[in-house]
Amino acid sequence: MEPALELTGVGKTFGEVRALDAVDLTVRAGEVHCVLGENGAGKSTLCNLVFGSAALDEGEMRLYGAPYRPRRPAEALRLGVAMVHQHFSLVPELTVGENLLLAERARLRPPDLTGRVKAIEEEYGLAVDLAAPVAGLPVGERQSVEIVKCLLRDPRLLLLDEPTAVLGPAEVRALLATCRRVAETGRAVVLVTHKLGEVERAGDAATVLRGGKVAGSGPLAGFSRDELVRLMVGRELADLDPLLAAGLDATEAPAPRTPRETAGEPVARLRGLRLRSDHGPDVLDGVDLELRAGEIVGVAGVEGNGQSELVAVLSGALSADEGVFELDGVDLTRAAPAVRTAAGLGVIPEDRHHEGCVTGMSVAENLFLGRLREFRRFGLLDRKAMRAGAARAVAEHGIRASGPDAPLHTLSGGNQQKVVVARELALDPLRLLIAAQPTRGLDIGAVDAVLTRVRDAAARGAAVLVVSSELAELLTLCDRVMVAYRGRLLGPVAPDAPGARDEIGKLMLGAAT
Amino acid sequence: MSAFAELVDGGVRLAIPLLVASAGELVSERAGVLNMSVEGIMLTGAFAGAVGAHTTGSASAGLLCALVAGLLAAALQAVLSVTLRADQIVTGVAANALALGATTYGARLYFTEGRTVPGFDPVALPLLSDIPVIGPALFDQSVLGYGCVLLTVLLAVLFGRRTGFGLAVTAIGADAETADRSGLPVNAVRFGAVLLVGVTSALAGAHLALADVHAFTDNLTAGAGYLAVAAVIAGRWRAWPTLAACAFFGLAQALQFAAPAFGIHLPTAVLVMSPYLLAVVAVSGLVGASRAPAGLTRPFAREARA
Repeated sequence: MEPALELTGVGKTFGEVRALDAVDLTVRAGEVHCVLGENGAGKSTLCNLVFGSAALDEGEMRLYGAPYRPRRPAEALRLGVAMVHQHFSLVPELTVGENLLLAERARLRPPDLTGRVKAIEEEYGLAVDLAAPVAGLPVGERQSVEIVKCLLRDPRLLLLDEPTAVLGPAEVRALLATCRRVAETGRAVVLVTHKLGEVERAGDAATVLRGGKVAGSGPLAGFSRDELVRLMVGRELADLDPLLAAGLDATEAPAPRTPRETAGEPVARLRGLRLRSDHGPDVLDGVDLELRAGEIVGVAGVEGNGQSELVAVLSGALSADEGVFELDGVDLTRAAPAVRTAAGLGVIPEDRHHEGCVTGMSVAENLFLGRLREFRRFGLLDRKAMRAGAARAVAEHGIRASGPDAPLHTLSGGNQQKVVVARELALDPLRLLIAAQPTRGLDIGAVDAVLTRVRDAAARGAAVLVVSSELAELLTLCDRVMVAYRGRLLGPVAPDAPGARDEIGKLMLGAAT
Repeated sequence: MSAFAELVDGGVRLAIPLLVASAGELVSERAGVLNMSVEGIMLTGAFAGAVGAHTTGSASAGLLCALVAGLLAAALQAVLSVTLRADQIVTGVAANALALGATTYGARLYFTEGRTVPGFDPVALPLLSDIPVIGPALFDQSVLGYGCVLLTVLLAVLFGRRTGFGLAVTAIGADAETADRSGLPVNAVRFGAVLLVGVTSALAGAHLALADVHAFTDNLTAGAGYLAVAAVIAGRWRAWPTLAACAFFGLAQALQFAAPAFGIHLPTAVLVMSPYLLAVVAVSGLVGASRAPAGLTRPFAREARA
């Protein structure tokens, strides 16, 4: 039987970046084919080529034997290719039912839709509430809607791009089971992930990408776990930092950090922080937390449970409707960001491109944008001093850039993040450091560097709040882990307590402590 | 005619172009394209309509000319704002300046012997127009006027959220990328929506020139196109509130003529200003809680990101 999807010598270049290079891939009908790789290995690009969101530069694709080159998603969909996007493709303003109607280019009649959805519910055990507005749905349910939306089209090939990145453990299990069931109906499934555990639970075959090239491919039975790790990162599992290995799901969680015996004096206090929403329940529903000097507190949780908004409220990007945020006894609840910075609040934001740095400006300018006063001479900027200061920071933090004058957009994501971290850690005094998803999208070397710096900040006496969706990261980094659930913080869970992982997983789904 | 009847009569007459223009603009904005050029297209339509009617002696031929001119102007706007992804506000305002200059100059060249043109005469609907006060105001319009109102209602119903059309347009305006991934033809729909604005704006302009004043004067629209855009904002991108806002703006415009009959004696300048002032108040009061389509004025390109 001919393969469901066959790629030969596929290449794709974005600007100067070679995203994919001579990639071969063969996916058979009835199997779950895992595409593995680190961040930046080209997994998402591969999906976008197959789904028609991007056009390939060279090579060829065949779908069930026929030459296949979609110029737009509409074409891919017509030919029976559907895709579950990492950040979903649902319109939040519309209801679930309306979003599902879009799947058929809005040609389906609502009564027919109800019937079709019911059939899918029964076949795959996916329940969706057609009348609910998408904006108010938890992430897990949104994903169910996204999958139902794909299945409505009765696809021959289903692509899932990092579908588990935003889910809690129980939801991941359910999703993998759904993948299997879809494959059992004779469809081909491509599951993109960087978690080895998921591959072993759901996959039949795997293709490993590294730096845009195929590092290895074949039936899963032919690979050991160590081998997959080696193909993915180019290093032996034994040589890998235990934290990173755990991040890949390659090993059990590494030894958790032992909570510090001597917690310092209280630095920051959050009392009853509340943020209302125009549509739906409060986004923050009375957040209370105390952070002590030298302590690292983690916030886990399925995305969309208020953790992003909590960081926004603390950094001054959003204004809380109720409650108090104090730093060293000073009320900063409604203070301007500059006042917060002066009070010793450092923020490593979740979205570094939009909130963390100015990509069009140089490394030096980005490092000192908030402290230009220190570099003023005769009313003008002392560029020489700025460059010298930046050169010191570049060396100290191991930032790989062509120099202090290099525009930030010429740096890799990991090095951009190092610039943001260097800037925030240079605050004097640094009393409270907030790090939101500090390692997201970074390669392995940069993850290590960033986490070391965060630990350093705590060692020097700052209180640290880390918001992350990587559970392994939180368990090794933090003294205690809180879990965000529907705008409240549950917990704490001590990372060294037996079964801490399961406990956090339960709290992520809202189970009472 | 009582002062009140006069006010309603003038209000309806002035509201009709606003209604049809804002109905088209509402569809376009819900699809994510803001056309500041409604004003310019209206003016172009009015000019082309007047020229056509004057040349041929037929109001219908004039209307046809207005529609062709409106479609051409809208096609230019669509190429700029959809295909070339230029800034929608800047191109719209530039188009308005161009239309004002071109029509003013053109009128000077063309209408050398008087500016009155043949137009559409009112047709009183039997029975309905006999209703006191509102009867003559509502049911004594021209064929063009009835047509405009009919098209407005048709658009409001056709592009509501209950139809597949309306749903697709809403999705494209809210999140073009998602709509694209759902297989909807984003830029084709947006292009079509701007062409629709060409038709509705040209109809509005033609109504002013051919059914209302029966002439073309410099800057005949005098900001009515902007009022139509303001009505969409004041109506918070919903059909019926937008149409209500148009009716309100129409009455506000009529008030400047009817005010003396009500015994209100204000300087003319204040009266002329009042509808725009009211528009500013209405829009600024509502804009804080507005529900603009999330993708409004944001052009769509599939492969913008790496």
